[in-house]
Amino acid sequence: MRLPPQPRERIDRSQRILFTFDGKVVGGYAGDTIGSALFAHGQRIFSRSFKYHRPRGLLCCSGHCPNCLMTVDGVPNVRVCVEPIRDGAVVEPQNVWGSLERDVLSITDKIGGPFTPVGFYYRTMIRPRRLWPVYEKVLRNLAGLGRLRKDGAGHTRYDVEHRRARVLVVGGGEAGRAAALAAAALGPDVVLVDETADLVGHELEGVEVLAPARALGIWEGGLVPVVAGSVLHRFRAERIVVAAGALDQPLVFPGNDLVGVMLPGGVRRLVRDFAIAPGSRAVVIAAGEEDLEIAGELREVGVAVPEVVDLTSTPARRIEAHGRKGRVAAVSVDGRKVDCDLVVASAGRQPAYSLLAQAGARVEYDESRGIFVPTNLPAGVEAVGSVTGEDCVTVDPVRTTKGAGGDKCFVCVCEDVTTKDIARAIDEGFDSIELAKRYTTVTMGPCQGKLCQLASIRLYAQATGVGEAAVGTTTARPPWAPVELGVLAGRHFEPARRTSVHFRHEEAGARMMWAGPWKRPYAYGERPEDEVRAVHDSLGVIDVSTLGKILVEGPEAADLLERLYPNRFGDLRPGRIRYGVLTSDAGRIMDDGTVARLADDLYYVTTTSTGADSVTAWFEWWNAVWGYDAEIVNVTGALAALNLAGPRAREALGRLVDDPDVVSAESFRYLDAKALVVAGVPCLALRIGFVGELGYELHFPSPAGEHVWDRLVAEGARPFGLEPQRVLRLEKGHIIVGQDTDSESNLLSAGMQWLPKMDKDDFVGKLALEHFAERPERERLVGFRMEEDVLPVEGAQIVVEGRPAGRVTSARRSEAVGGVIGLAWLPPDRAEEGTRFEVRVDRRLVGARVAHGPFYDPAGERMRA
Amino acid sequence: MREIFFPKRMWRPRGDLKRRYDVVIVGGGSHGLATAYYLAKHHGVKDVCILERSYIGSGASGRNTTIIRANYRTPEGAAFYRESVRLYERLSSELDFNLMFSQHGHLTLAHSDRGLVVAQERAEVNKLLGIRSEVIGPDRIRELCPELDLSDKPAYPILGALYHPPGGIIRHDAVVWAYARGADRLGVEIHPYTEVTGFERSGDRIVAVETTRGRVECGQVVSATAGWSSLVGKLAGLRLPITTHILQAFVTEPLKPFLDVIIVSSQLHVYVSQTDRGEFLIGAEIEPYTTYKSTGTLSFLEYSARHALELFPQLEKTKVLRTWTGLCDLSPDYSPILGKTEIENFHVSAGWGTYGFKAAPIVGVTLAELVATQKTPALIAPFALERFYTDTLVSELAAAAVSH
Repeated sequence: MRLPPQPRERIDRSQRILFTFDGKVVGGYAGDTIGSALFAHGQRIFSRSFKYHRPRGLLCCSGHCPNCLMTVDGVPNVRVCVEPIRDGAVVEPQNVWGSLERDVLSITDKIGGPFTPVGFYYRTMIRPRRLWPVYEKVLRNLAGLGRLRKDGAGHTRYDVEHRRARVLVVGGGEAGRAAALAAAALGPDVVLVDETADLVGHELEGVEVLAPARALGIWEGGLVPVVAGSVLHRFRAERIVVAAGALDQPLVFPGNDLVGVMLPGGVRRLVRDFAIAPGSRAVVIAAGEEDLEIAGELREVGVAVPEVVDLTSTPARRIEAHGRKGRVAAVSVDGRKVDCDLVVASAGRQPAYSLLAQAGARVEYDESRGIFVPTNLPAGVEAVGSVTGEDCVTVDPVRTTKGAGGDKCFVCVCEDVTTKDIARAIDEGFDSIELAKRYTTVTMGPCQGKLCQLASIRLYAQATGVGEAAVGTTTARPPWAPVELGVLAGRHFEPARRTSVHFRHEEAGARMMWAGPWKRPYAYGERPEDEVRAVHDSLGVIDVSTLGKILVEGPEAADLLERLYPNRFGDLRPGRIRYGVLTSDAGRIMDDGTVARLADDLYYVTTTSTGADSVTAWFEWWNAVWGYDAEIVNVTGALAALNLAGPRAREALGRLVDDPDVVSAESFRYLDAKALVVAGVPCLALRIGFVGELGYELHFPSPAGEHVWDRLVAEGARPFGLEPQRVLRLEKGHIIVGQDTDSESNLLSAGMQWLPKMDKDDFVGKLALEHFAERPERERLVGFRMEEDVLPVEGAQIVVEGRPAGRVTSARRSEAVGGVIGLAWLPPDRAEEGTRFEVRVDRRLVGARVAHGPFYDPAGERMRA
Repeated sequence: MREIFFPKRMWRPRGDLKRRYDVVIVGGGSHGLATAYYLAKHHGVKDVCILERSYIGSGASGRNTTIIRANYRTPEGAAFYRESVRLYERLSSELDFNLMFSQHGHLTLAHSDRGLVVAQERAEVNKLLGIRSEVIGPDRIRELCPELDLSDKPAYPILGALYHPPGGIIRHDAVVWAYARGADRLGVEIHPYTEVTGFERSGDRIVAVETTRGRVECGQVVSATAGWSSLVGKLAGLRLPITTHILQAFVTEPLKPFLDVIIVSSQLHVYVSQTDRGEFLIGAEIEPYTTYKSTGTLSFLEYSARHALELFPQLEKTKVLRTWTGLCDLSPDYSPILGKTEIENFHVSAGWGTYGFKAAPIVGVTLAELVATQKTPALIAPFALERFYTDTLVSELAAAAVSH
């Protein structure tokens, strides 16, 4: 039933909209919210409360309280009082067993009280311990509000916009609008954000109005995220003006949660925006002129108001609401009972200071007005209107509980916390507001204290005899209002990386695997060992484009690298390559790769696939610290890299260059770096031997990736994947940083004593390495062979006297070596060549022996060939 | 149960400070309170006072994400946390307070080959030490957590997981309150809103503790101040190799049961659990910069939301209710600093990063033993401050960072 057209109504009576509620069709008008349409339809109970399952109806009509939470189109916990109506929406009640009108679980309200005082769950269900999972299951099912659909994957498209504004005004009430207009008169870029739909379609000259939209908080550097629909606007503003207004504060009295007890703001919205009479006979109990005026407004639309109680001008009164089937039927004021179906009750208005407090303002109690006001605003943040405390006053919201018998007095409707609960918590020793909050969960529900913080503080202050100012508020935590995860997440953007040869691998039937952000071929067939054999006997090619590639150039490039690496690079001749390991300040191994000197002032550095970005950052950081004249460029994505390896590598490469002599054994030696044109593509060729055979790593512009790959394959190179490469490198005893080393590994214990040049003046990690050398070694990385044909997992434990004494970091079966080989960390006294130790494999101990040096081609003749 | 009908005070109201205590514990969080409790209970040392700057449990004990587990990487760490989990399992009963410890299992997801190897290593260490841990594949993950998105998406596919069945969540505040009650009833004095402002030293000993409520003489001092450890250490003239960072987390509005197990992804830097109240508790790794300023960041909310949705797209419309931050005292090797220091009668429980709360009971037991007997229990010997002088570190980097 609607009232005759109201002057400022938001509904469009010409446009009827239908949706279903609990299986029945309900109609409303365009401009309605689901809540207003339901109310107009006659629905009065909107939800059941968290703990006692008491019926609850509309209270604030502003999206703050939990009373109208329903499931809409499968999405739980939607505040229907502000959710716009839409055609075909499926609206269902939640957290009821039965129906909203008859909820079986409301038994907890009738008889459960004495058994379930505040914190009852801490005192019960302790013994026997094995029954706890059963109790817990029951508790878990009772708790929670709506139910999430397990298959309801999200499909909403969210987005983020980065915005700047000269002035950002939060709140579109009178003060906010005035501030925005005043700012607009002085210059451009003024944005006004308002939570309600009140300003939709209104023009404010020179002001961009964003509504309905909600500012979530004020973060460091004046960052204000504003949610408008499914878009998150990240505002940075020179000036932030907070005009967030004030919040109606519920009055605490017996039966104050009955359906039909409402806040003045909610009543006003129903009448003004939706042309609905919230009741037929109302009692108004309020403080302050504005809230008392509601009586007149109700009478104007034909609601009888037999009683108006002005709390500011009258002494403390005993107030009690009486209900029938959960709905208010009468209210007693000092023992005098007045029949009614609507109680407009409010203790006054409290500034909505949360955004300001979160921005760094202090919050102080103003005793004369009974409100908390923000002070000491941070620079760049201003406050106007009611949020400053202007026009705000509250009477003691809990004075109406004195001497009350009868029904429960709710301090917090979200969590069903009563005045008795708070009193009991204090008696039990939870005597600070923060402790009481955690014990009773007051202010921790969906409204986050908007409607209950003031009352709980007042109650607390009175019970403990400490003043409100000393009690203080609990911390204001963002966000200001609950916000969807999806809108915070924004658009999904977690790209996978592919090399420029990626599709050739797929066409060749490679089994792809994840290696960090990259998808790489594991192997091209079912038998990686065939690919290993191809490399040993003939020719193979692997895509190593994922390697990090960094150019270091400048007159002091050599000095920079000398100081970054334990190795020496100053004496590296142009055209030569050296293996390098980076160590941290603490001397721990960070990354490894090759360093080729291309010219006096130009180095080409490769890193591990995962290290590209962190090594670049490390170089840049130190370069900034030391101030060398050197430039660092990460060219990882720009260049593809293919490693052509096997005894036939030279011959095959010779056919792809103009003059085969340039790749002859004499002119292109092991550890040479050379500029070549391969199959018409300019390449940097590095002659290195990670896989242990004659090999050339070709680095060239990424777009030519497929072309060069095709030509190498046409020359008879068999593609090999990561798995065969791991076998090949293990046969050579080459380590993989991050797999064979961890964050504590150092060069000495990893068997690279030869690498650091301790006579250098300084390098990152030198001091730590000196210390390592002086101290007894704790563990050492060594190669080993298994005594049986058993493959331990990587991470398998080496067991001495039943205790872990070391670990296997790599293990593979090798045809070329004949048996299972691997790398392991062992105590130094067990790391001698030939020492036997035991590895735990599938619950049994299997013998293994230490084997130093490369397992395959120990003299390195094949890769130097 | 009796206390349902006959409420009793949890602890005595704060009294006046005495002139002297045998043991002064700085920090009224889970570690300090547990240490006091076990000092009184196991060793009969009852002349103990706890000095807490704010309310009890106001620091890391009330800000952590309540995950209890023992699936650490190093044998030292795993053995230590194994004992902690065992104590936690019996704690509700021992303290006669339901801590709501729900052991539904803990899954550390592996999104890469490397992740699987780390999981394998942890499983091997754990099994050898009698801790239930195993590496499981996607099919088994689906059985344990059908809600998880196990599709082969373009990024972060789930290749496997380290499954740790005893892992669970607990009501963290209840742990604090129960220890406080236990300690109080054994005679320990708890002094909230009493801040330590200095220490009076005589040579290598602390003779008295200065507080905002006056000076107290002391036999021994224990500092269990988590994020404030290096500052409290400094007051005593002790340097600790600790950096302090913030860790952020948030909860959503309560929902009906959806997720039983705890899901952790190191690569996505996110972990997700659902509390008994129905809230989803989601957190990330610590912020890389050092600070004592406990304001959160928006970027944390953004990337945590994004990463949580990678795992559970169904949460898209679930609403964030509140976020908070806590201070983390991080040591260089991601293992704690526990026990004696170069100041003879000043002991520390520090360097806890993101893994302190799960250690509370065992810290209490071992520190109490150390204070009472002056001997370092074998279980905590590897975590001595001395290791940073001898460089015998205990690297938990792979298991502690972002693993919660």
